[in-house]
Amino acid sequence: MRDLHLPLNQTQRVRLEAALHELQTLAPAAASAAAVTVADTIPVNHEDNILKGHGTTDQDGEVVATLCGVVERVNKLVYVRTLRARYKPEVGDIIVGRVIEIAPKRWRLEINFSQDAVLMLSSMNLPDGIQRRRTAVDELNMRSIFEENDVVCAEVRGFQHDGSLHLQARSQKYGKLKRGQLLTVPPYLVKRRKQHFHHLEQYDVDLILGCNGFIWVGEHVVVNEITTFNEDQEKLSAEVETFTPMETRKHICRLANAARVLSALGFTLTIELIIQTAEASLSSNVKINDMLGAEFYVQTAETEAKRRADLLGRKKGGAR
Amino acid sequence: MVGLSEGEKHFIRGGIAQDLRADGRTRLQFRAVTVETGIIPQANGSARVRMGATEVIASVKAELGKPTILHPGKGKVSIYVDCSPTAAPMFEGRGSEELSAELSVALQRCLLGGKSGAGAAIDLSSLIVIEGKACWDLYIDGLVVSSDGNLLDALAAAIKVALSDTGIPKVNVSLNAETDGEPEFDISDEDFLQFDTSSVPVIVTLTKVGKHYIVDATSEEESQMSSAVSVSVNRLGQICGMTKRGGAGLDPSVIFDMISVAKHVSQRFISLLDSEIAAAEAADAE
Repeated sequence: MRDLHLPLNQTQRVRLEAALHELQTLAPAAASAAAVTVADTIPVNHEDNILKGHGTTDQDGEVVATLCGVVERVNKLVYVRTLRARYKPEVGDIIVGRVIEIAPKRWRLEINFSQDAVLMLSSMNLPDGIQRRRTAVDELNMRSIFEENDVVCAEVRGFQHDGSLHLQARSQKYGKLKRGQLLTVPPYLVKRRKQHFHHLEQYDVDLILGCNGFIWVGEHVVVNEITTFNEDQEKLSAEVETFTPMETRKHICRLANAARVLSALGFTLTIELIIQTAEASLSSNVKINDMLGAEFYVQTAETEAKRRADLLGRKKGGAR
Repeated sequence: MVGLSEGEKHFIRGGIAQDLRADGRTRLQFRAVTVETGIIPQANGSARVRMGATEVIASVKAELGKPTILHPGKGKVSIYVDCSPTAAPMFEGRGSEELSAELSVALQRCLLGGKSGAGAAIDLSSLIVIEGKACWDLYIDGLVVSSDGNLLDALAAAIKVALSDTGIPKVNVSLNAETDGEPEFDISDEDFLQFDTSSVPVIVTLTKVGKHYIVDATSEEESQMSSAVSVSVNRLGQICGMTKRGGAGLDPSVIFDMISVAKHVSQRFISLLDSEIAAAEAADAE
């Protein structure tokens, strides 16, 4: 059972196993057939000559998986997509990254990809919001926009010819993320969706689900059309002793813990599920810290199993 | 060590000031602790302790040796800690030497007492087989498998658990004339002597961030510390050792306050560990 290190007691273990088993039986047959481990044969039709891709090998005329993951088929190509691998960017993905280096005209970001991503000075909106050529002065002031270790939200622009990954941040919604915490989850748990930025008004919290598995939970910031940076800097130093309001902080911690629990259980992280889990903890009077305890894990797994069963039941009911 | 942005640092400091840390803990709350015993079959005793994402392994190996001439009535114990490069990239090569040495010294101070072996948490005279001729040498090794702050507390807990798991083989000594009075040892494979670990202390590290101090700091929180005081406390609530890290000074009254808090917290921690040990032993027996 996964690398969950939980001090489960006997009943909790039984309940968790039952819930996980339930989830397994609920999964569509095609999905479980597509999951392979090392040395599993991948069923292929040998008549249409297939192309063996990543994570496959030929053994005695059969296609055998050399990795654990999910079999993907694109036309003739058959390959294995590993789940616990690094993030594989696609153009248009919204990602959260951390600045690791400032180089001439560019920032280098760590985004859990096999190499560092590049954010060019020219592919980002300047704080004054005016469209113009970037001058040498702008280049010298780069550190006033993003410093090393800053958490930044951006969009994948595309790959360069040399294979390096370029990002862009051409709107006010992208940029530096300030007060909050960054969680890292396996990237396969975040699915591509229309919306990755979420302003949860009821909590006054911003939640950004980066496609690269970096999740930002932070205090909501009002997006101003024009914010000059100097003013911003002053605000931060003046506010050093005015911390995040307690209520907001509670919500941030609760949502973050909900995301932690869900990712540890291996459930796809959607905003609905995160909110639902946080609400469930609130309604059943679970303390924020106790959300990481065994009982809440079991509860969450059971709720999810029930939810999926209901969903499946409704689908079937609708079909009839 | 990952860097943190100004905003995140501010958030962490704010959380500690408001008594609600990033994962929802209060200042004096530990992360969930899980304990496993008997994980290394070759060792006489071993344990794995996890505190959140921090994972450490401790093993105890007993070997027959000779007591020193100065202290013929006492066995020998040595403690060494190693940080695995899998825990953090910075531990690769010689990168972990400094931290390993620091942890080893802190543990030696807390558990071994003075040079003469007086005041050690482990009763050294119980390690003697024949006075002046043979004794048990205990090699206690700690390994940091995964590092997310609070390594010293985790290591001390792991050593405490490993010692309680340790069985020292019974030795039959036969003295005969043929070997010129040199004793012959017959080490039993079945009979083991359990160790008295009730006096082995736990270590509670109080990390000071801003005006407040916290227990069981994660590595992110440790990056914001001004100073940290590690207090080792035994079951009776007595202080067995103290070390301080970090350059910032502390007011003596704060230290006294910290000690009394550490004493209070440690009693909770010891009873938590005891129940975990019992659970781990029960799981082993199954």
